[in-house]
Amino acid sequence: MVRKTITMLSQLAIIHVFYFAGVGLAHILSLPVPGSIVGLVLLLLSLFAGIVKLEWIEKAGGWLLAELLLFFVPSAVGILNYKEILNWQGLETVLLILISTFIVMAATGFTAEKLYRRKRKGGHTQ
Amino acid sequence: MTTALIILIGTIVTYVIYRASKVVYKKWPMPFFHPLLLCPLILIGIIQLAHLQPSDYALSSSLWTHMLGPATVAFAIPIYKHAPLLRKNIMIILTSIAAGTLVAISSSLLLSLVMRFNGDLLISLLPRSITTPIAIEVSKTIGGLPTLTTVFVIVTGVTGGIIGPYVIRLMALKSPVARGLALGMGAHGVGTNKAMEYGEQEGTFSTIGMIMAAGMTLIWGGLLIPSLLQITIL
Repeated sequence: MVRKTITMLSQLAIIHVFYFAGVGLAHILSLPVPGSIVGLVLLLLSLFAGIVKLEWIEKAGGWLLAELLLFFVPSAVGILNYKEILNWQGLETVLLILISTFIVMAATGFTAEKLYRRKRKGGHTQ
Repeated sequence: MTTALIILIGTIVTYVIYRASKVVYKKWPMPFFHPLLLCPLILIGIIQLAHLQPSDYALSSSLWTHMLGPATVAFAIPIYKHAPLLRKNIMIILTSIAAGTLVAISSSLLLSLVMRFNGDLLISLLPRSITTPIAIEVSKTIGGLPTLTTVFVIVTGVTGGIIGPYVIRLMALKSPVARGLALGMGAHGVGTNKAMEYGEQEGTFSTIGMIMAAGMTLIWGGLLIPSLLQITIL
């Protein structure tokens, strides 16, 4: 248990190093991209370059990705600050988002599925 | 109460209710019990009943909000593990996400016009399909309200996480690439979370879809959206 916790915390620390490096770099170079995305790119490059081994971060990384919804919870509760949305127009807005999200997913999935099948038919087997 | 104590309590309470919501959703997998719907609703109930300030709760749960940053960094792991798979499908990915981002922006715009939305509301809606930090950037660029955009991003995530499986069934999406890209494009991190339940390949395509969607929307935000707005509003 103690061993597991230490592994988890030290792996989290490594990921944080990349996160803060990304935030710092984005700030210094005033990039139009969030620091977390810069951190992602830095970590990816380090993995490819062999500077960071997958085993060093895999446990904590897996946890972060598995519990992603938890990290959205406070923002979702933040809707409380927009009580004015809880009216007729708010309902309409949710409806708009529902329809639009449906169309977006359908269009994206449809395009990908069609291209995928064409590629397979074209003889480029997996 | 000291800030440290407030954060300790907020972190634990949020975690416990989140875990409980996940158990409930696993037992009764109905849309209304989606963890990102049920858990915030319970917390909002508690905040209202105990007459707490929303800003106090935001502070108390800030550790979890902070984790969104490192979690985004951690998306490098599935990309790294499946790099050959991504390289092999790069054309499918680029084409599908280009289509997806265009549909996301234009459908939001058209539906807004149909529903007679305008001004801040309309503009803040346009970048809602993508991950929060970048959506905020795009919202600023095109003159929307970042806070309003954040709310719309969350609503999009919850909605997409719920309807995603229905879209996959309805459109008969069989390949991991189509399933993953649809979820990542339509519902950013929340969709990607769902995609990982389908499998590791789906999760990887969803991750890359989410990142590409954010990147392309950044480009559209600078080039396409301003002219679209000019045509439709003026």
